[in-house]
Amino acid sequence: MSTVASTTPALVEMRQIGKAFGGVQAVDDVSINLYPGEVVALLGHNGAGKSTLMKMLAGAYPIDSGEVLINGEKAHIRTPVDAQRCGIESIYQTLALADNLDAVANLFLGRELLTRWNTLDDHRMDADARKVFHRLNKNFQNVRTPVRRLSGGQRQVVAISRAIYFNARILIMDEPTAALGPEETAMVGNLVRQLKAEGVGIFLITHDMPDVFGLSDRLAVMKNGKLVGAYRTADVTEDEVLGMIIAGKQPEGKTQTHSL
Amino acid sequence: MNPFLNSLRQAAIDWRLVMMGAVLAAIALVFNVLSDGLFLSPENLYNIAQQTAVVGIVATVVVLIIVARHIDLSVGSVMGFVGVLIATLMYTAGWHWVPASLAGLAVAIGVSLYQGALTARLGVPSFVVTLGGLMSFRGAAFLVADGKTQPVNDAFFQRLGGGYDGAIGVGPSWWLAAVIVLALVALTWARRRARASYGVPNNPLWLDALIVLVPVAIVLGFVAAMNAYQVPSKDAPQGIPIPVLIWGVVAVVLSFIVRRTRFGRYVFAMGGNPEAAALVGIPVRKVTLMLFALLGVLITIAAIVSIARLNAGTNSLGTSMELFVIAAAVIGGTALAGGSGSILGSVLGALIMQSIDSGMLLLDVSIGVRYVIIGQVLIVAVVFDVIYRRLTGDAA
Repeated sequence: MSTVASTTPALVEMRQIGKAFGGVQAVDDVSINLYPGEVVALLGHNGAGKSTLMKMLAGAYPIDSGEVLINGEKAHIRTPVDAQRCGIESIYQTLALADNLDAVANLFLGRELLTRWNTLDDHRMDADARKVFHRLNKNFQNVRTPVRRLSGGQRQVVAISRAIYFNARILIMDEPTAALGPEETAMVGNLVRQLKAEGVGIFLITHDMPDVFGLSDRLAVMKNGKLVGAYRTADVTEDEVLGMIIAGKQPEGKTQTHSL
Repeated sequence: MNPFLNSLRQAAIDWRLVMMGAVLAAIALVFNVLSDGLFLSPENLYNIAQQTAVVGIVATVVVLIIVARHIDLSVGSVMGFVGVLIATLMYTAGWHWVPASLAGLAVAIGVSLYQGALTARLGVPSFVVTLGGLMSFRGAAFLVADGKTQPVNDAFFQRLGGGYDGAIGVGPSWWLAAVIVLALVALTWARRRARASYGVPNNPLWLDALIVLVPVAIVLGFVAAMNAYQVPSKDAPQGIPIPVLIWGVVAVVLSFIVRRTRFGRYVFAMGGNPEAAALVGIPVRKVTLMLFALLGVLITIAAIVSIARLNAGTNSLGTSMELFVIAAAVIGGTALAGGSGSILGSVLGALIMQSIDSGMLLLDVSIGVRYVIIGQVLIVAVVFDVIYRRLTGDAA
């Protein structure tokens, strides 16, 4: 596997990324990469900078310093639309749903299908959305009610379906299972494995150790805006990971890796 | 469950609108009884429809402003300013009404974009921006003609405001009704076919027929009433007043924008969750500016109808109209928290308010009492809104 990784360019390479909000250095000189079919878990305390880093990749925040390479080529990501063009999809912790609109409208929000008269093609969106929702949850019927009335799992399905429908090559998942029950958590886990098998690269922000060890190939830990280290998940123990998150201490005798 | 009730539940019927329609009908019946049949006379219905048009035209777009979590307190002042400007260009400067109106349109869009840009680009709350505008543009309305009333004499232009010659006549009214009825049937038919071709479940036929039949009955009833009203000194009945026609076209166009265009959907998405709208890549600032530009267009239309109706532009034109416009939107079910509201709701809201006002006028209720009651009606509408949302599980 490592030979393949060394010859193919990384799907995403973020180099020396920096971001300040006022006087606070939220992300400080962080370099991180992601390969096709790989799940990289991004760990750290609240405020460690992991969500900010991912929001820059998703175009939600402009990047202050550093550069992003997609498939080895420099990418200019300044807006969410730029990121979408690069095949980057995000599932935010807040899900980024307009609660007053229905599931179909939310799936296509910002990327509506249009008829040849440039009006909304509601029927086609409705039909396409039902297929995607069905793939994720066989019992999802009420696609035309405002999403505020849906259950947490159904809302998650809507957010995830954006990534699936628009064929994400790079997927950012920000605590996707935080608000879910066991059944829905298993659904998300299966989906991650399925997308991984299809060659999608996934950044997984999480606090959940079973998710980290069950789903990720590598893990990267951030603290106070800086990268503590990146390791193969199989190389480190849960205690060592916690040591990195809490104390910012790199485990002794373990080599860092920036490839598979 | 009973299949009849089940299909009613699954059909996308806006029950709040249905209820408001029922409230309007109840108000009309009560006033009709109290006024010994005067309220539902063709003459009174004609006047109510015509009087509501200006507030109704502006309310349709203010619904969208409120849906997008903004407010505009300056609509009355801007309408006064633009109205006086158009009248001055016609009377004092001697312009034809078309270039005068276009100049008014340009100024109105400029004013709206100025206020919209302060809100969208700099993030100044629209409440503050338009509160300033409420005062400034009332002042500007005075400055345009130095406070002098500007008469409007163009015969064609005057018809736009309704009045003596301001209706389209019996024949055209019936033709228009026929076109609307055919369009409603055709649209429903096309929707059923499209849904079927995509495998999306349809309402049962009887339900769709009912959904079409109600507006058809309303349109035919309205046209019949307008065609029954004859000004005593004329030899033919009036038909649909032109201001109402303009209002109708505005409401249809805005409903189309809301339902069928990206712009309309983005306005609602921004109102429902501004952060989400930005995260999915909606150009929030651009949409906000476009929304304010649209407001400018409709304020101009309202200003034209208004000065044509008064046959003059005065510096007090549209004073405190913002209150009635916002009240119409809120009575029509628009949530001030943003994210929900409907154009048709604003039409009903404006009609409810005007009907109560006119009804009390027929009953010789004093102006003080009328204001007290209309204010409380607004509160009743909001209380109803709060309870309705609680019952249906929609957070406000």
